Amino acid sequence: MSIQILPEEVASQIAAGEVVERPASVVKELIENALDAGADQITVLVREAGRRLIEVVDNGIGIPVEELEMAVHRHATSKLRQAADLFRVSTLGFRGEALASIGSVSHLTLTSRTRHQDLGGSIEVEGGEITGTAQLGIPPGTTVRVEHLFYNVPARLKFLKTDRTEKRHINKTVSRYGMANPGVRFKLYQDDELVFQTNGSGDLREAISAVYGVGHARQMVEVIYEDQNLRVNGFISPPGLTRSNRQEMLFFVNGRPVQDPALSKAITQAYHTLVMKGRYPFTVLFLELPPEKVDVNVHPTKAEVRFEEKSQVFQGVGRAVRRALLAHSPVPGVSNLRGVNLWGGPTPDHRQVQRGIDPAWSMLERAREETLVHQGEDDDQIPAPLNTPILRLIGQVAATYLIAEGPDGLYLIDQHAAHERVLFEKMLASRESPPSQALLESVVVDFSPASADLLTENLALLRGLGFDVEDFGPGSFVVRAVPALVGEASPEGLLHAAVEDLEADETPLENKVEEKIIARVCKRAAVKAGQVLTPQEQKQLLLDLEACQSPRTCPHGRPTMIHIPVEFLEKKFGRIV
Amino acid sequence: MKISVLQENLAHGLSIVSRAVSPRSTLPVLSNILVATDDGRLRLSATNLEMGITCWIGAKIEEEGSTTVPARTFSDLVSTIPPAKTDISLHEPTQTLNIKCGSLNTDIKCIDAQEFPPMPSPDLEAGIEINVTDFKEMIKQVVFAASHDEARPILTGVLVTVEDNILTLAAADGFRLSVRTAQLSSPAPAPVKAVIPARALSELARISNDGSEVITMALPPERGQVIFRTKDIELTSQLIEGTFPDYQQIIPKEYLTRTILSTESFLKSCKQAEIFAREGSLIAQVNIRPGPEENSPGEVEISGQSEETGSSQAIMDATIEGEDIIIAFNVRYLREVLDVIQTPNVALETSKPTSPGVIRPVGDDNFLHVIMPMHLGS
Repeated sequence: MSIQILPEEVASQIAAGEVVERPASVVKELIENALDAGADQITVLVREAGRRLIEVVDNGIGIPVEELEMAVHRHATSKLRQAADLFRVSTLGFRGEALASIGSVSHLTLTSRTRHQDLGGSIEVEGGEITGTAQLGIPPGTTVRVEHLFYNVPARLKFLKTDRTEKRHINKTVSRYGMANPGVRFKLYQDDELVFQTNGSGDLREAISAVYGVGHARQMVEVIYEDQNLRVNGFISPPGLTRSNRQEMLFFVNGRPVQDPALSKAITQAYHTLVMKGRYPFTVLFLELPPEKVDVNVHPTKAEVRFEEKSQVFQGVGRAVRRALLAHSPVPGVSNLRGVNLWGGPTPDHRQVQRGIDPAWSMLERAREETLVHQGEDDDQIPAPLNTPILRLIGQVAATYLIAEGPDGLYLIDQHAAHERVLFEKMLASRESPPSQALLESVVVDFSPASADLLTENLALLRGLGFDVEDFGPGSFVVRAVPALVGEASPEGLLHAAVEDLEADETPLENKVEEKIIARVCKRAAVKAGQVLTPQEQKQLLLDLEACQSPRTCPHGRPTMIHIPVEFLEKKFGRIV
Repeated sequence: MKISVLQENLAHGLSIVSRAVSPRSTLPVLSNILVATDDGRLRLSATNLEMGITCWIGAKIEEEGSTTVPARTFSDLVSTIPPAKTDISLHEPTQTLNIKCGSLNTDIKCIDAQEFPPMPSPDLEAGIEINVTDFKEMIKQVVFAASHDEARPILTGVLVTVEDNILTLAAADGFRLSVRTAQLSSPAPAPVKAVIPARALSELARISNDGSEVITMALPPERGQVIFRTKDIELTSQLIEGTFPDYQQIIPKEYLTRTILSTESFLKSCKQAEIFAREGSLIAQVNIRPGPEENSPGEVEISGQSEETGSSQAIMDATIEGEDIIIAFNVRYLREVLDVIQTPNVALETSKPTSPGVIRPVGDDNFLHVIMPMHLGS
């Protein structure tokens, strides 16, 4: 077969495949366009999970009638003028591909009017061909109507998941942009039913409450951090509020939602010892960097970005989160008590999501929990939050839990977990730099070229930790001594572990050392459940716990205390309704 | 099978073989002990497929036979019955073992002896004969230096070599090395070089009697096994495959300082330092200071400390030949080697704070121990 230039329609269908993967990607592209057009109200209408119809209505600047035709052409954009602009993109879109791509795989109707024109225009595109234009009177803004998506790409149509899954993807997409743009009022209708809305008040916590429910939003910890090249703000879940997967860690880099495993890792690392193994926090974090420090043109749907100074960004994020956590560390409270799934119904997580997208429910909850919400707001206004409130000991139950009264209610403390935390912090503080233990026979360890480079760069750091390690030809290193605290393991394994930590931008072997200390704490010293403590011992434990840096969890991440507010007691006793 | 045994003999035999029972196994028969009549005696055997132990006890045999009895049930039962004659009989079709002793009458459900892994019957003609007491001491002096880290299986074993009439045991865990040699009464028929799991040797030392008995070690060719046999006991173990590090080149050929100390006070000082050092990284500093003039006694200070508990310094008199030196060791390693040295005095040979230290019993050239030093991070 001879080589030919592909016909225009084939080429655009191929390109569409990259941008438009499923109905949710159409929604994403259209929302981004609306946001770039400066809209502060965006309404999304979806029928039959987007197979039938996706309509996005905005009140943005609109497109002049004479430019409508141009808008649906490939690489037509108002957002870029020259290649150099690409390196300081601040709009969400810029590739000029979205409308053309969507137009080539659907029936697309673009209707728009600018504020200065009296009449708006509309243009219809079918499989990439313009099939009709019209002039008409409409309110200012742009409406994009996408019907019969993938009607000419049966393969794509076949690979769409069930309606429920596709709907979920759309909900997720809209709610993400809703949180990213708290100043924009979003509405999402699925088959004529309003399933999600934000009020556009500009308050991020309110936007989060539309997604996760008021209860969760109230508990979220605010992050504010700034250094030379990075600003981080947003909300993270307190240690008591976790998910079983990493998918709810949301990051927005310069307003753009991105997925980045390394960022998730930085977060998980910051929560180390605060959440249980296999549980993950959820976050809504906004990273702001100078546009030239981040490359967004990596991925057609722009879901991935590349940072110029990767490790600085990750360290900054880790620092920001850790700082916020240490300052806040709230006790798991009533909402968790209520979230306990006693009846085998839907898990608390699901319930929360449903609450989030059911406005009636959240209104109800808002009314019902008014007192609590106020309480929460008051808490937030305390400038330097206390780690633990001052507690008055009441006594011990079941030879395992201490009961204490704080200024805001009842506290139940697990004596074993609490003592573990106390000892852990004491040992961590008194830790000496480990001596190094020489090996009988030096060991040669091989690494991949990338890891070897990293190791060469960090040789001095590793020597400080107690390794005696030297470059030994390409990719090989000779180890003559290892740090003694972790010296029982094989030297190869230890060096590999250290390099893995370096790759993840963590202090090498920090986790191993912490684990070792944790193991010692647990094995030996901590008081056990079932051990009767004298009142003096109980009091001392409370005092020690108050002095801890992160008193709310034990080193394994289990909670050390449960808080039962007075309001909860009053509700249960029917004093307030 | 129909036999009578004395409860004491049975209890003794069971305590020996039950160390090889595998309590949790997907093969139920490995949780059982083989009970069989064997040439006028009763044979008890257990194996976990890595190590097997057999013990023969005296019994009055009325009818030959064999079966396998659940180890736990059998041992627990036998330990409670009075020290008297016990009658045991097997009902073959149902594999039920009946035990009668005094007023006690029990039935234990057993598994057919056919299912028990066959134990090799060794050719002891080609074996090497060693005095039991000596061999037990040799084992004690090396096994502690073997590694527990399963990631390097070869170091969890003890290298056993026999050349002419010299038997050598060596073990190392990456940080220390223990080597012990002994002279055999008669030259071995063929040279031997094998790595035996340290655990099997420890078990052997535990179960074999003291006294002037002789132990025979046999390594049947091509079987990857070693068999130790005394009059009443046989222990079989799989060998560890692989190449043991060439330890000869690790042993320093010379030293700059030789310090002779009383074994007892050195051990005591180490124990004192360990009380503090164990809170940290087990590091103990050994400060060796020769006397002001030649031939005048010098002193050795051993110190251990931790941020949490405090510190200890112990000073001992010593005969020091050579320069002063400060060197640090893992104090547990020091304590473990001093624990197995029998001579009243011990020599510590050192050169540099970064070079290995060698410990030798004074007046006994058959043992040496190498320990790698530690040093504090910058």
